[in-house]
Amino acid sequence: MKSFYRNKVAIAIFALPALLLYTLFVFYPICQTVYRSFFNWDGFSAAQFIYLDNYTRLFQDKLFYTSIKNGLIFAFFLVVYQIGIGTVLALAVADASIKGRKLLRVSYFIPVVLSVTVVCQLWMSIYNGEFGLLNKVFESLGMTYRQDWLSTETKSIWAIAFVNAWQYTGYHFALLFAAIRAIPEHYYEAARIDGATKVQAHFHITLPLMAESFRFCLILAVTGGLNAFANMFIMSNGGPGTATYTLTFMTYRSAFRVNEFGYGCASATILVLECLIATVLINKLVSTDKLEYK
Amino acid sequence: MIKKWIALFTAAAMLVSMTGCAKQTAAGTTPTDAAATEPIKLKIYVDYADDDTKIPYDYAVAALKKEMPNVQLELEPMARDDGQKLKTYAQTGNLPDIFQIGVDTMNIFRKSNNILQLDEYAADFKSKLQPGSENLLYHPEDNHIYSFPFAGKEYVVLYYNKEIFAKYNLQVPTTFEELKAVSKTLNENNVIPMSIFAKEKWPCVSLFDVFATRLEPQGIMKLDQLKGKASEEAYKKAAGQIVDLVNSGLFPKGATNLNYDQAAALFYEGKAAMFLNGQWEIQGSTEKLGDKVDWMYYPSYDAAGYEAAKGNWSGGGSLGGLGVSPNTANKEVAAKVASFMAIKYAEAKYTMRANPFVATVVDKQPEVAFPAMMDRLAKDIPNIKSTTGFAWHMTNPKIKAALEDNTQRLLTGTYTADEFVADMDKVIEESSK
Repeated sequence: MKSFYRNKVAIAIFALPALLLYTLFVFYPICQTVYRSFFNWDGFSAAQFIYLDNYTRLFQDKLFYTSIKNGLIFAFFLVVYQIGIGTVLALAVADASIKGRKLLRVSYFIPVVLSVTVVCQLWMSIYNGEFGLLNKVFESLGMTYRQDWLSTETKSIWAIAFVNAWQYTGYHFALLFAAIRAIPEHYYEAARIDGATKVQAHFHITLPLMAESFRFCLILAVTGGLNAFANMFIMSNGGPGTATYTLTFMTYRSAFRVNEFGYGCASATILVLECLIATVLINKLVSTDKLEYK
Repeated sequence: MIKKWIALFTAAAMLVSMTGCAKQTAAGTTPTDAAATEPIKLKIYVDYADDDTKIPYDYAVAALKKEMPNVQLELEPMARDDGQKLKTYAQTGNLPDIFQIGVDTMNIFRKSNNILQLDEYAADFKSKLQPGSENLLYHPEDNHIYSFPFAGKEYVVLYYNKEIFAKYNLQVPTTFEELKAVSKTLNENNVIPMSIFAKEKWPCVSLFDVFATRLEPQGIMKLDQLKGKASEEAYKKAAGQIVDLVNSGLFPKGATNLNYDQAAALFYEGKAAMFLNGQWEIQGSTEKLGDKVDWMYYPSYDAAGYEAAKGNWSGGGSLGGLGVSPNTANKEVAAKVASFMAIKYAEAKYTMRANPFVATVVDKQPEVAFPAMMDRLAKDIPNIKSTTGFAWHMTNPKIKAALEDNTQRLLTGTYTADEFVADMDKVIEESSK
């Protein structure tokens, strides 16, 4: 094996196809996006180089800050909900004393395999201000807490973030559950012999050993939140007004509704940078040192 | 031996080719005729989503089969996606041969040579164009033809359920104060005053236009053409009035999230007393509600204003219709088909959808009688003093997008008229540079 790793040619040959595909489908389009962001371009006619004008305009645009704010709200909600609930569910299902674990495991994952459109339609009817299930539940409980869930500027982004969080919690649950299952049983046996309770064992063994998986889930949740698009596109079309815009939605608006591809590329570039910074920060903040108990 | 085989093969080949010639001659078909009857396949990208779009298309295709039997159309239903798909097709050089196009996309296609100039193929169409509808056909900047229109001037209509109004002893409101009072009574009786499918943004723009045209006949088109500002009285008052009415409960909860089906269902099931849509809803609403439904003139700020602005209608006509790709292999045939289809679309709208507001003159009698509402509207046409346009008639994409977003925000009731004016004026200022 060591001699294989020393063989640079072999490594290059095996890595080349993936590297080529990555360059072609990821790196090149990103470079193109960054390059186009310096132009005044409608997507069709000849582009005009305008230096940093798109960025100057972007930083003065109210919509840009609304989009950034919504992306952060979305990411925050996904992190708290998907990783929080996902961890609790994974710990519960990993516990041998819980009955019907197989059924629970499958049922938590069902929303993940549903199409986004189906899930959005389902929640749109639940959120319906006049006849939706959610308001009816409040009504039947004798509460007057009837809300325009998707038509209120302050609430709609949270309502939409919840739908995404609900759908993909099962995915995070599966990742975290696999991480728990990978922890050797004898660690827990040793902890039990030392007199540790179940909660103590989880805090001192399970959670620290899941750091790698948490890091991965965190990156998925944060970047997924920052570049959210499909849920708001289906559920609110970015509205009311621009209340549920994210940077991806803003890029879409600039490119296809306003015919300003250059400006759209500028917001897309900021989005890429935002995701990169988030990923680097998460990698820095969540320890990469592999924890091992000996 | 080999020589014998070659001689046999050559003789056989000659015989076969001569047989082929003999057959063609026997049928009396010249090679030119064969080319003319050769099937021509054209890809067409048009709206094909509901009765109002499917019936005219199917009618036009049936007529085309008789007129040009060698033309085969391959339909791709148009996505209602702000022209995203069509623009992507253009950018990748995959434009369909014939496509439905609105004025804003047409402007971009025109500049980037993605749409065929149709002047030389338009003789037949021009002879059928409704008098006074030249603005629907000729581009104002260069006076050339880029699409064959089928829709004429269309109008924003406020429908109401006469039965519900009678049940609660309500009069058709002539002022916004009366509209507010009607709204209050209906809400007290658990009836939604007005249904609107504000998830689509154009009804929000049209609603704003209805209010703005009470004081400014040019409505939204004045903003679109950068001839006015949102801080002008007509627009500021319109925004304030909408917010006021929203907060008085004029629209259902979650109005900005209602699609057409949901909003129309509220009206047709008697849960909502009024409904805003185009005049194309007349046929459908008559089928569903019979003589219980009618339309009203737009209310205004006061009785005098109501009478004075009765002839200021929201809606209108604009460039747009069926365009042809400059890259089509059969330019002449594609242009001829586009022209024919547009004429037949208008014919179907007139004869089968009881819609007299079409771009071309129809010399056939309607198959279905015009509903009473349509008759009333048609009779009122001579009294119309001014029209504006729908959101898709706007030519400035920045103003259009801002107006769509900001008028939808007005329906939340939390976005103030001052904020609206400031946001719109900023975009207008940027666009004017």
